[in-house]
Amino acid sequence: MREKQAAYNRYEYWLASLVALSGRKKIYLRTVFADAKGLYHASPQTLERICVLTEREQQAIQAAQGRSEEELEGQLEYCVQNGIHLAVWGQEDYPARLEHIYNPPYALFYRGDCPQSARSAIGIVGARNCTHYGKAVAEQIGKELALAGVRVISGMAAGIDGAAQRGALLGRGSTCAVLGCGVDVCYPAGNRKLYEQLVEEGCVLSEYPPHTRPLAVNFPQRNRIISGLSDGVLVVEAREKSGSLITADFALEQGKELYAVPGRISDLSSQGTNRLIRQGAGIFLNMEDFLQEMHIFTKTEENSSTKKKIVLENSERLVYSCLDLTPRNLEELLSETGLGLGALMKALETLRNMGIVTEIYKNYYVRSGISI
Amino acid sequence: MYSIVSTAIVCGIRSVLIQVEADVCDGMPAFEMVGVLSSEVKEAKERIRAAIRNSGIRLAPKKITVNLYPADIRKSGTVFDLPIALAILAAYGRIPQEYLDNILFAGEISLNGEIRPTQGVLPMVLAAQEAGKKVVCVPRDNIREAQIVKGVTILPGDNLNQVTELIETFFDEPGTFMAGRPDTNIEENGENTQNADSDFASIHGQKILKRACEIAASGRHNMLMLGSPGAGKTMAARAVSTILPPLTEEEALELARVYSVMGMFGQRETNFRQRPYRSPHHTISLAGMAGGGTVPKPGEISLAHKGVLFLDELTEFAKPVLEVLRQPLEEQEIRLVRKSGTYFYPADIMLIAAMNPCNCGYFPDRNRCTCSSAMIERHLNKISRPLLDRMDICVEVSRPRLQELIAKQPEERSAQIRKRVQRTQHVQRERFAGTGILYNSRIPASAVENWCVMEPEGEELMHESFERLKLTARGYYRVLRVARTIADMEEAEKIGYSHVCESLLYRSIDRKVWEWE
Repeated sequence: MREKQAAYNRYEYWLASLVALSGRKKIYLRTVFADAKGLYHASPQTLERICVLTEREQQAIQAAQGRSEEELEGQLEYCVQNGIHLAVWGQEDYPARLEHIYNPPYALFYRGDCPQSARSAIGIVGARNCTHYGKAVAEQIGKELALAGVRVISGMAAGIDGAAQRGALLGRGSTCAVLGCGVDVCYPAGNRKLYEQLVEEGCVLSEYPPHTRPLAVNFPQRNRIISGLSDGVLVVEAREKSGSLITADFALEQGKELYAVPGRISDLSSQGTNRLIRQGAGIFLNMEDFLQEMHIFTKTEENSSTKKKIVLENSERLVYSCLDLTPRNLEELLSETGLGLGALMKALETLRNMGIVTEIYKNYYVRSGISI
Repeated sequence: MYSIVSTAIVCGIRSVLIQVEADVCDGMPAFEMVGVLSSEVKEAKERIRAAIRNSGIRLAPKKITVNLYPADIRKSGTVFDLPIALAILAAYGRIPQEYLDNILFAGEISLNGEIRPTQGVLPMVLAAQEAGKKVVCVPRDNIREAQIVKGVTILPGDNLNQVTELIETFFDEPGTFMAGRPDTNIEENGENTQNADSDFASIHGQKILKRACEIAASGRHNMLMLGSPGAGKTMAARAVSTILPPLTEEEALELARVYSVMGMFGQRETNFRQRPYRSPHHTISLAGMAGGGTVPKPGEISLAHKGVLFLDELTEFAKPVLEVLRQPLEEQEIRLVRKSGTYFYPADIMLIAAMNPCNCGYFPDRNRCTCSSAMIERHLNKISRPLLDRMDICVEVSRPRLQELIAKQPEERSAQIRKRVQRTQHVQRERFAGTGILYNSRIPASAVENWCVMEPEGEELMHESFERLKLTARGYYRVLRVARTIADMEEAEKIGYSHVCESLLYRSIDRKVWEWE
């Protein structure tokens, strides 16, 4: 660890945590001053002569110059203790894919394994308030991509993002979360378990320094990193106005492939994705086609899940056929199957026992799992 | 001269006898009253003076002293007007003392001498009966509640003059006054007052909901209904009160006491045996729910004693108001401690609550519900776990579909369901005979193993569910109690697989919120 830390010094850390400047300007400044140390010690007169800096930015730099070297050293110590690494532009561990995007981040703070370019990577994004269907789809796609050896990039948000990454972890694959807060902050708090698992088995990264609170302004910006790290972006569910569409825009801007999962035209939560399709985005229909179109060739062909034969009794088959990924409540099942309450309950209990039906909400049932 | 008259004061729903002594002697004209009196009792002085004069009785100016004892009880309320007035008249020698002996008087007097109705007459008459007093004189408006008590002669009081005549006649020929109830229909009509509006027959479809209601009513389980607005939660709660069997004589009397103390006996008069149904609005205060005041009056939980307390929009109730329910739900009574003493009110309620699954109410329909999971969690967090832990049955209510509404298939009537409920309750009573337990929901945790014996398959499912659903011990027992009720409905001796299966269906919502994440 120590050797890795030595690669960046307190000045790099200082420049990386200077949030008032865009990544592009920071990179420019570093070439002007040869290194971050030069900028740290730059006089106001020197700063004034640099024409790309606005007055505001000059003030911000001067204010940041007030941070003492001891304080920066203390911050570095905190990073070391918490396993937070810094990948600075131009250095070895800086993801090569990001070098080619507009306004790349000057540096990335990360915990876990920083995503290197060798592997193909797909960004999966979508609504936070998603349907159960969307969630199941995202999780399955994440899992199958992981099994195919593809890295899954997402934002660890509630809803689709989290589901996709959970799926990727289920598939024992590589996955990376780009956060809009410091990498030592878990947001949303409800994803604590996922966060910890990502730190252990995947990667959590952010261009914002540790301790940064999850501010609303940070999130649109982090989306450019999600798309930047990916070869293609897949939008699973999005409403007409959704943050996921910002990621889609970035993806197009950066020349990445854009795919969307189609939905019913009446579903509010699929209106954004359907519109993307209308505008020319690729349609995700199944994993095989998708991988082929993305020119991703799976290493292990036979790992596509072997289908188990499950033998069901008549009433169970009847109940199972009435269920899908949209939650159905007991009352509907009762009238649709025509079974008595007792028989219906027994059937549901057996199906639940087999693990093919879940009660996702009080007296609402869905099929658990989906094949794509 | 000296005289003494009996009256009574209400403490909780019990009553304590109070003696009013009066002494009239020569000296500076004055009217003194002693005996730890509250302001409304002190004011009686003015009312009585005017009432006596306006009744056409002229009293010579003398020194009057009135004492109320025992002196260690603070006297409040307005029942003392009539006994004080009579004690003074007796002390002046206008009424012979022997006329007043063995009669208990209670009533408020207005300035023209008329006797006005008062609160808590029923407990007073019961106290008189216990103390061996056979005759009670109460305001005419309160006569119906007094008549409930058997073996006590009731003298209705209209005004001061009429009362003095009445007691004279009574003293001369007591035989002309019938003891007991001349009018017996008061307790017979437990059934015919249900209105068709709240009958189960008017709820179409909703099979699960109806089934849950029947189970809840059979075992007196508390029930929580979840569902979108307009799904029929309120209607169902009202209907539950129509399938409960009528009150027993004893229960009805205890309930009537509570209403009498509140001055609300009129509400029980026509439906004496019917179980109460109370649905307080969610803006209710702590005192309104639990009972309160310096001399505490019973609250909604006591007014719903032996009946149904329905809390609609459970999440909108102030948190302390809901938390106060916890102890009464366990102990079936509420204890209010005040400076003046500790008051007990009965609160053996069946709690039915209804709430929306989220702020907008449409969750899990994601096409209509836009609440984020954090919002939904916040919504649910308004209800504490301990309260959820006391809900035996939790059921989801969805909006009825059009086909069911217009199909107009004949639905079962409440009266039919009530017959089944009665039979199930009979099964429970027979099993628990001699233990003091009446319903499955009241089986103490320590005795669950004894009473809830399972078939092997049922037991296996129960054990498996305990692990899978991460049930708490309390949750486990709750599922068993409900399963016991379901088994009793089929008069099965042991709890079988299907009973456990169904009971699990109604288990309370878990800590894991909606299992959505």
